[in-house]
Formats: sequence, structure tokens, C-alpha cells
Amino acid sequence: MEKFTSEKEWSVAMRINHWAMALSIFILIVTGFYIADPFTVSRGETVGKFLMGNVRFVHILFGVFLVFLFFWRVYLAFFSRFHADWKDFFAWTNIKCTIDQIKFYLLITKKGPDYKTLYGPMQSLAYLGLMFMVFVIVITGLILMGAGYHAGFTAICYKILRPIENLMGGLAVVRYVHHLFTWFFILFIVVHMYMAFWYDAILKKGTISSMISGNIFKKLEE
Amino acid sequence: MAKGNNSEYKKMIDKQYKDLMKHCQLHMEEIEKNLPEPKEDLHELLKERGFSRRDFVKWTSAMTAALMLPPIFRPMVAKAAESFSRLPVVWLHFAECTGCSEAFLRSSYPNVDDILLETISLEYHETLMAASGYQAEENLEKAVKDFSGKFICVIEGGLPRGLNGKYLTLGPKGKTGIQVAREVTSKAAAVVCIGSCSAFGNIQSAKPNPTDAVGISKAIGISTVNIAGCPPNSVNFTGTLLHYLMFGSLPALDGLGRPVWAYGKRIHDYCERRPHYDASEFVEEWGDKGALKGWCLYKVGCKGPYTYANCGKVRFNDGISWPIMAGHGCIGCTEPGFWDTMAPLEKPLDEKTYGGGERTVDNIGIALTGAAVAGVAAHAIASGIRHKGDK
Ligand code: HEM
Ligand code: SF4
Repeated sequence: MEKFTSEKEWSVAMRINHWAMALSIFILIVTGFYIADPFTVSRGETVGKFLMGNVRFVHILFGVFLVFLFFWRVYLAFFSRFHADWKDFFAWTNIKCTIDQIKFYLLITKKGPDYKTLYGPMQSLAYLGLMFMVFVIVITGLILMGAGYHAGFTAICYKILRPIENLMGGLAVVRYVHHLFTWFFILFIVVHMYMAFWYDAILKKGTISSMISGNIFKKLEE
Repeated sequence: MAKGNNSEYKKMIDKQYKDLMKHCQLHMEEIEKNLPEPKEDLHELLKERGFSRRDFVKWTSAMTAALMLPPIFRPMVAKAAESFSRLPVVWLHFAECTGCSEAFLRSSYPNVDDILLETISLEYHETLMAASGYQAEENLEKAVKDFSGKFICVIEGGLPRGLNGKYLTLGPKGKTGIQVAREVTSKAAAVVCIGSCSAFGNIQSAKPNPTDAVGISKAIGISTVNIAGCPPNSVNFTGTLLHYLMFGSLPALDGLGRPVWAYGKRIHDYCERRPHYDASEFVEEWGDKGALKGWCLYKVGCKGPYTYANCGKVRFNDGISWPIMAGHGCIGCTEPGFWDTMAPLEKPLDEKTYGGGERTVDNIGIALTGAAVAGVAAHAIASGIRHKGDK
């Protein structure tokens, strides 16, 4: 019989951050598409309706939530007491390992390379890309927010970010980039979810459940 | 406690305005001394056009509020208006259609702003002056010399930079627009760009921009006051000049050189159709039921959410109407590069197409997502075969 041990892979903070981000991004995609392409509510009087207003409220609420989650995640990457993983985002710099990993993904070899980093080389590249995507969508989102609301923290952020708006070519371009990146998130989600399942099926280490329980299984060599 | 703070705050504001008032008074006295006598009597002119004293007082109140000054400044605004024709102005035309001049000068029911503009002391204006050829050139040189460092240079139209600027040559000596602009603006007290052409290049600089046209500030590397719009509202121009007359300085500008008092908020923030936007009531097609009810124009391409301007507040043609009130969405004409960034003008932003076809960002996104899903499905099947029987 094979023996397994269970090892802690993800801290509680990391797991909460992961699922909060997943939920926020899901809600942001749905509400974002409504803002981009709203349908008309014809029934009833204007005074009794506030659908766009509510959708924008939810979008901006979870948007601000995502801003905090992003900064929390960056903080964890550098200062997590369990495992500060910022170096692991650069696993792809080991070129040989990356090529071996691609071969494994393309089913050319049956076993992937061994690596000591928390993430595999391709995985690290994908997550670095994700961090960049979140950064861009958070910045463009804060600009769009500041354009319509002129007080408090939003106004301070907007004052700092307005030159970026001008550099990008105005609010229309900012909005378009925000929309474009929404599609990058959707593409990321498809591949990310598949790869989680694939790892679970091929390596049988319990990849998916690890993000819930925090523990991953390791096969013990006899 | 809160009360104490409030009165403290009030005291501070009062003091600020008092200082500002003192500054204003001093400056107006300076003007009395330094600038020539008013060329026209504004009140005579207003009377001729059938405006009463009362109309003028009403206008000063509105203008004071538009400039975001408290009511105590009303007499100063009136005084500045009376001195309006003291300010020497040189008005240049470059790559443009003269529509801004037309819009200011040809309103069928001119308002006080328009009449004020008629009193303006135009030392040089290519469309309006009688002189031509060498005589015109002399006029320009004389004006620039006589009022060196005192005149306001108003510019309508952008500058083509291609062929060393030779896409635009002017006058009997065949100078390029860039040369003329350099010569005149270097002697001006301030440069005010009227309209989106001189501010940002506008249609001449739209893709593919064969003449490499740009706005004045980018073309010759100076900072300008940009009264953006195609055409802009005359109020935004007169207000800026009044501010200059009253305080001897230009009003606060945003990062693109537009006066904040006029371009500090978006069309979408002032729009009278905004409640319909929040209520998800959209015009779906021109002339449909929603259009009859005055619903929001977002889905027929309104670019109000991306456009900084006060059109909805000051309106056009003596406050009669403005584009969104008339039933067409905003096209974003006060923003740089709007022909490109706001396209398509009658559809929402995300319906911009690529490759001359029907492909929008959403079509491409859906196709890529479909491909990704098909890809991972194929990979799953292939993995099932390859790793069959693995432990
Ligand atoms: C994964 C994250 C996000 C997604 C997928 C997303 C998606 C979208 C989409 C599709 C739109 C409509 C764009 C269009 O009209 O073409 C939008 C608008 C907007 N988003 Fe986001 N967004 C995200 C994050 C954020 C964040 C972090 C913020 C703010 C901090 C934010 C604030 C806004 C605002 C203010 C608007 C404009 C709403 C309006 O003007 O009424 N978004 N978003
Ligand atoms: S008509 Fe345009 S500016 Fe007015 S609420 Fe609708 S989208 Fe905004």
C-alpha cells in the first residue's frame, strides 16, 4: 500500500485572499458586463427603478474590495509569516525547467521536472501575469471611480492617477482598457480552473482541496 | 465644538475671499492705468440690442456663479465686462474650419456673452478684418509690436507638422503656421486656444493624420489655456478672459490646460437624463418609445461618461438647448483625439470594430474563450489517453 503524508501548503490568510478574490472577480465580471451593455427596464415608473445605480454600486463596492485584496496579496508575498512567496513568482527564470514543464504539459514527457519553488515555472508566469492584470484593472477602475466621485479617498487617488488618464488618452481609453482586461480575466479563469483539475487528476496530490484545507498530500517513497 | 469649528472655517473662507477681493480691486486699478480706454461702450451696445440693465445684472450673477465666485464679486465681474474691450487681442487661424468664430459671432439671438465678444478689441482677426495681403501682415506686426507682452493671443486651429509645417502656409510671405505661431505667441501675455483643433488637433489629427497635425501646445512646446470643444461654448471663453481681467492671472487649469471652472466635471455628472441612466432606462433605437420619453442615450452611443465639459449647465444659443437635450448623445468633442477614442459615435464604446469588419472586442473575446474551452477539452482527452493507468 502507498503511504501519504499531508503537508501544509497555504496559510489561512492566503486561502481567504484566494477565495475572496475569486468571488470578487466573478461578481465584477458579471456586473461589469451589465455596465458595458445594459438592458432596458421598461416596466414601472422611473422613480421606482434603480437597476443601473445598484449594479454600479455593487461593482464599485467589490472593486474597492479587490483593491484591498490586491494590496493584501502583495503584502503577503513579501511579509507572510508562513511563507513569503515573492521569489516563487520568478520560477520561470530557470529556462531548462520551464522547457521541461512545457513538455510535460504538452504530454510529450510523462513526468514533469522537479522544482523547489512553491509554483511551477509556467504557473509562476501565469500568476505574475495575473498580478499585472489585477494591477491594471485596479488602476483603471480607480480612475473611472474618481471621474464620477469627487470627495474623500477616491478624490485623493484620482488626483494621483489623473496624469495616467491623460497619458492613456482620456477616460474613453481607460474604460476600453478596463473592458479589454475583463476578457483576459475570463481567459485566465478557464485555463486556471482546468489546470487545477488537471493537476489534481495527474499528480493526485489534492491540488484543489489544498486551497480549502491548506494541506497538500505527498507520496512517501518506501 | 462642531459649531466652533464651523465659525472658524467660515472666518477662514471669509478672509480668503476678502484677500481675493483686495487682489482683484488692485488689479482692476492697474488695468485702468495701463490698458487703453475701452473701445466700445458695452452699455450703449447692449441698449442698442434691446438688453435692459436688468438683463445685464442677471448675466453678471450667472457669470459670477459660473466662475465659482461668491456673489460679492458681481460688481467686479460687471466692471471687468465693461473693460472687456480694453484687452488687446490677436486672433490667429490655422488648420481649422473657422466654425468656432462662426459659432460665436453668428448666433441668431446673441446673448450678453456674444455681445461682449463683439466688443473685444481685435487687433487682428483674419476672418473679420478688411485688410488683406501685405496690409494684413503689417497689421499683425504692428499689433504684436504695439501691445508686446500685453495682448492675448487667441488661436483657432491646429498646426500640421508634416513637410516641415508646409501643409499650412499663410500670408504674402508664405510663412508656415508654425513660424507665425512661434512669432506671435512669444510676445503674448497669454495664449488661449479656442476649440479642439488648437487645443488638441481635432479632426486634422484624427487617424491616419496625413499632415501630422497637433494642437498648439504640442506643436511649439508652450503651455496654453485650452477652451476645448467643437465648437466650445462662448461662456467658457468670455469667462476665462473675465477671470484674466479681474485677477491678472489665468484660472486654474486641469492637466490638459482646460479651465477647471468649466471643464471640472463630466457631461454625465450634469446631465438631465442621468436619472434614466441610473434607472436603466435607455433609448435603444432612434425615435423609439424611450426616445419620446427622454431616456438616457448611453446605448445609442452617448460619450457623456468620458467627457469633461459644462455643456449641460450653460447650454448653447442663449441657454436654449444642447446636444443631449436635443436628443443626440454627446460625442466627446472636448477630449483629446475624440474622433478616434470615442468612435463609434452612435454606438457604445465596446462596439468599436477592428479590421474593417464586424469584429468587436466582445466578439474576439467570445471566440478566444471558445477556443480556450475547446483547447482544454482536447487536452483533457489527450491527457486521459497518455496518462491512462498512472498511479
Ligand atoms: C476583475 C476585476 C474587474 C472586472 C472584470 C471589471 C469589469 C468592468 C467592466 C466590463 C466595465 C464596463 C466597461 C465598459 O463600459 O466597457 C467596468 C466598469 C467600471 N469598473 Fe470595473 N472591473 C473590475 C475591477 C474594478 C475595480 C477594481 C474597480 C474600482 C476600484 C472598478 C471600477 C469600475 C468603474 C468605476 C466602472 C465604470 C462604471 C461607471 O462609469 O458607471 N472595476 N468594469
Ligand atoms: S445621456 Fe449620456 S450623459 Fe446623459 S446620463 Fe445618459 S450616458 Fe450620461
